[in-house]
Amino acid sequence: MSSMASYVGAPVVRRDAFEKATGTANYASDLFPDGFLWVSVLRSRYPHALIKGIDARRARSHPGVVAVLTHEDVPVNRFGVFAKDRPVLCDDKVRYIGDPVALVAAETREAALEAVKLIDVDYEPLPAVTDPIAALRADSPRVHESGNICRQTSLRFGDVEEAFARADIVVEGTYTTGTQIHAFLETEAGISYLDEKGRIVVVAGGQSPHRDRAEIAHALNVPAEQVRVITPYVGGAFGGKDDVTVQIHLALVTAKTGRPARLVLSREESMISGTKRHPAIIKMRTAASRDGRLLANEVEIIYDTGAYAALGPAVLDVAIENCNGPYRVSSARIDAYLVYTNNMVASAFRGFGAPQVMFAMERQVDRIARRIGIDPIELRMINAIRKGDIYVFGNKMEGSVGIYECLKVAMDHPIWRDRRKDGTLEYPWLRRGVGVAAGMKGYTIGALPDRGSVSVELKRDGSVVVGGSFTEIGQGVVESVAQLAAELLKVPVERVQVLFADTERSPDTSVTSASRQLFLAGNALRKAVVALTERVKDLVELETGGRPTSVTFTEKGVLVNSNEVMPLNELAERLELRGFGRMVIGTYEVPKVEPIAGTLEIPHLFFMFGVTMAEVIVNVLTGTVTVPRVVAVIDAGRVINPINFTGQIEGAVVQGLGYALIEEAKIVGGYLQTKDLSTYLIPSSKDAPTIEVIPVETFEEEGPFGAKGIGEVGILSVAPAIVNAVAEACGVEPTSIPLTPEKLYWLLKEGGLVDRLRGNEGRIG
Amino acid sequence: MIKPTTMSRRIEKEFRFFLNGKAMTVRAPPCHTLLEILRYELRMTGTKEGCARGDCGECTVLLNGEPVHSCLTVMTQVEGKNVTTIEGIDPEHRLVRSFVEAGAVQCGHCTPGLIISSYALLLKRPRPTEEEVKEAIRGNLCRCTGYSKIVKAVLSAAGV
Amino acid sequence: MEVPLHDVDVLVPKDVTEVLRLLSSRRGFKLLAGGTDLLVQLRSGAVPKSDLIDISGLRELRYVKRSNGHIAIGALTTFSEIAESEIVKRYAPILAEAAETIGSVQIMNKGTIGGNIINASPAADSLPPLYVLDAELKLISLNGTRIMGISDFYKGYKMLEIRPGELLAEVKLRAMGAGEVGHFFKHGLRQGDAISVVNGAVILDLDGDKVRNAAIALGAVAPTVVRAPEAEKVLKGKKLREDVMWEASRAVLKSISPIDDVRGSAAYRREMSVNYLYMTLWRLAKEVGAV
Repeated sequence: MSSMASYVGAPVVRRDAFEKATGTANYASDLFPDGFLWVSVLRSRYPHALIKGIDARRARSHPGVVAVLTHEDVPVNRFGVFAKDRPVLCDDKVRYIGDPVALVAAETREAALEAVKLIDVDYEPLPAVTDPIAALRADSPRVHESGNICRQTSLRFGDVEEAFARADIVVEGTYTTGTQIHAFLETEAGISYLDEKGRIVVVAGGQSPHRDRAEIAHALNVPAEQVRVITPYVGGAFGGKDDVTVQIHLALVTAKTGRPARLVLSREESMISGTKRHPAIIKMRTAASRDGRLLANEVEIIYDTGAYAALGPAVLDVAIENCNGPYRVSSARIDAYLVYTNNMVASAFRGFGAPQVMFAMERQVDRIARRIGIDPIELRMINAIRKGDIYVFGNKMEGSVGIYECLKVAMDHPIWRDRRKDGTLEYPWLRRGVGVAAGMKGYTIGALPDRGSVSVELKRDGSVVVGGSFTEIGQGVVESVAQLAAELLKVPVERVQVLFADTERSPDTSVTSASRQLFLAGNALRKAVVALTERVKDLVELETGGRPTSVTFTEKGVLVNSNEVMPLNELAERLELRGFGRMVIGTYEVPKVEPIAGTLEIPHLFFMFGVTMAEVIVNVLTGTVTVPRVVAVIDAGRVINPINFTGQIEGAVVQGLGYALIEEAKIVGGYLQTKDLSTYLIPSSKDAPTIEVIPVETFEEEGPFGAKGIGEVGILSVAPAIVNAVAEACGVEPTSIPLTPEKLYWLLKEGGLVDRLRGNEGRIG
Repeated sequence: MIKPTTMSRRIEKEFRFFLNGKAMTVRAPPCHTLLEILRYELRMTGTKEGCARGDCGECTVLLNGEPVHSCLTVMTQVEGKNVTTIEGIDPEHRLVRSFVEAGAVQCGHCTPGLIISSYALLLKRPRPTEEEVKEAIRGNLCRCTGYSKIVKAVLSAAGV
Repeated sequence: MEVPLHDVDVLVPKDVTEVLRLLSSRRGFKLLAGGTDLLVQLRSGAVPKSDLIDISGLRELRYVKRSNGHIAIGALTTFSEIAESEIVKRYAPILAEAAETIGSVQIMNKGTIGGNIINASPAADSLPPLYVLDAELKLISLNGTRIMGISDFYKGYKMLEIRPGELLAEVKLRAMGAGEVGHFFKHGLRQGDAISVVNGAVILDLDGDKVRNAAIALGAVAPTVVRAPEAEKVLKGKKLREDVMWEASRAVLKSISPIDDVRGSAAYRREMSVNYLYMTLWRLAKEVGAV
């Protein structure tokens, strides 16, 4: 890379890989501060109950126990990003089985685990409501005093009635999607301690150190400056660490005891108390003309947010915004509900509300294609939105819109061209099919304020330190930011150090979610480089009396007025000598438009698009679906790092496969039955398909070097592509995911496929 | 009237074994697992905990050369044996290099366990097929990569 | 909530005699073999805490041998050893098939056949092959040795015909004969390791495409693993034709009594029992050229 051709688009090996592969990288769960207390959490036994009293005397007197904390110890006992509706430790009642009731801090692990069982909580169980439709009824038990509707939005665009009246084809369906659990391999984990200034430091897995700090400070009722949050390498997040997890509990223990503390959730605790992907019920009625134009969409969306709102209100907006798919649907009526129940809390999960509606819409589109008798990709191409189009909400699609190009690539791909070619299958009970689906989702946080800052410091040795509060949750943002800095400042990437995710040392780049960090940090970095350029001009002006007309970064240093070259080490020295300081900060604010009335963040200006094609083999006698091959065609903007890019997409595809087929959180009356990774199954190496990732490199003008967000796009259309393939293979129309073997088997049996194999059509086997 | 509680009696015994080639003696409760000893007592945190019940493979170590779950191996089962953890794998080992270069490491939490499982595979089958790699690591869950680059990394380390 | 095990003592006897002596002198011990199930059960509180006798190091119970037409497997033989054993692969290939799918490589390296038998999960993958291979269990104690057929060993869900002081020392199987073919099958909810929704084993003694004798066992569909004598009877003396295979498969319903659980409903398990038996018969028929 010494030629410096370009770091943008280069397969640079990420810097954290070696330490992670050799086991020397530290995650929050690997930290054991001197003299720390082991923390255990007592969680609710009931999905819904009043707390009549908590008697912690036995636990407090247990040998080794240093503190038992309850709601009485929490200065401000409600937290949450969109609604402060969630208790740090439950006071009046518990609303789901993971709800935390008390904390034990003890000298040993055994003491902490034993003492938790010695806390006597006097519960008065209440009827639980665990079905979101039942929760909407007036006579339903109330999860919160305010009622069970956490948020409701009704939107109308265009003349829906007229469109249905002139439609040739109307397809209707009710779709349900399951509760997906993040199942990151490192559970929620952290430590806390007091620093030399008496401030509380929390080192924890997370996605938003500054926001977590604000949540901690709010709960402890201290100024934010009294709290420092550091996010080391995180062992997976996918949205599941977007909300506060262990952070406030840790800070509370340290604040109360003055001692360092460590809290790492067990797998079972993580499965129960962690946030989930919203289970959804989506009704759609879609109108189309005979020549394949989508005319109208009537949509009812019900998302079960569980006991608390968490990020649900924004998730609901994303569901609304994307429920019409990447199409020129001319009219839409959308009624959306975010409902409280006594189920586990739902919040952010890769795709943030979009995968559910994408499943519904892309099933609808496929069914319309079948009704018309048109190639499903062709139908999608007829309707695909293009750059400059006015979308159904009235917003202009100004960013890069590559869905048409993706569909074109998909259409020409052999997996699609040869999809009907007879391959011989090993057994007569197997069927093969190929399915397609498109996906879209806005990245950045749309009409909500969205800004971020990044610092650039020139070291005296000519190396560069980039700082930002983005978190390294596995996606590789640290390396990508380093690559961008290397490109902008024309220094070798090894000379760029990245200081990330520390509220004390890195500026606020805001949340690492919504596929926004590369875009945000990259743009803030560009601003910082502009600021640095100005500073160089100030320096030269001070030194020579004349302000240079041009300052460019070159491989040899800064080129001033295309004559003087100042190596970066010299520039750093001179900046310091003249009192300018060697650090600049760049702040980028995402352009936005006014939100549509009744919504928080609709519309986004920037969208990601993709097309997934999946080949499936269905065993008609068992309902088992295997997926030998997936092709993901992604509107990637400009790819900054092809290894990280394909890694994100491949990972998302397999997560989407799990969502589509395997991952079933069984919840009965609010109790999770699948509390471990032997009952809640996630895909293994043997479940993973061969994946081909094809980037369609559109150019996002607002993005750094044309790049756009890619963290979530890979998952959006996986489930509908797989289920569409099953429909193609077997001629049944599944409406529910996960499409587990049992679920599909009954459909196949109902459809007569099983009896046909049994040679006894009409007979019960 | 609150009954005073008593801390249950912690039993400790002495265990001798070889950890990454070095003779070790530790005093530990006999029913504590090797994983607990590695992480909590020895603070060797390269071996990760993902589930503590044998479902995820994160805590895989070699016990006398065979990959096992350290979360399901109690200290009496370690006595007198050779234990190899990720810290005992040469950082220059071709598996480490190929995992790094192939992009097989994302969040990296599953990586040490995967390298141990792959290491054991290559000892038995120096030139495995893709199917054999997938079989060998089927008990090592990864939530980030979709496995593609991991399988490629193992094959590339084997020169296949 | 995790149960800490810091107060659990683990005794490590040096040989079988010492194990038997311990077992006879004190009650309340549990035997620890591979530990792949027991430790999980202890930590979750599913099994009450007690001190343990770690027998995993007893090499004398770790072997696969052939002796006059039979295969003898030491109770502490791991599933990796069984899967790789040339004797098992040759004379009891259906057990090797089961051993390979019992769990991850890590589980195969620690889990033992004796542990699987004593843990007594009706879904245990090693059991259906043992049922069709007419396994006999050797239980030893200071009072002597008892030999028991495997189906007599299970009296009900997790109820074992084992007496205090007894140790399961060996499993003895009949070797599959020259005319015999068979397969193990399991239905898991993912392609990688998963606990079986239904599993089973089929052995056919064939004369060309005609069935001289059949042995069929199914797991996870009753409180214990069960043989399916009705299905076996249908096959006996018949040619492996489509209608015969389906008739036999349907007959399996007479032998099973599945329940609903987290992995599947009783109705689905019934369907899977029928269909898996059919698929297995079909595969065997295809392998011998009958379809």
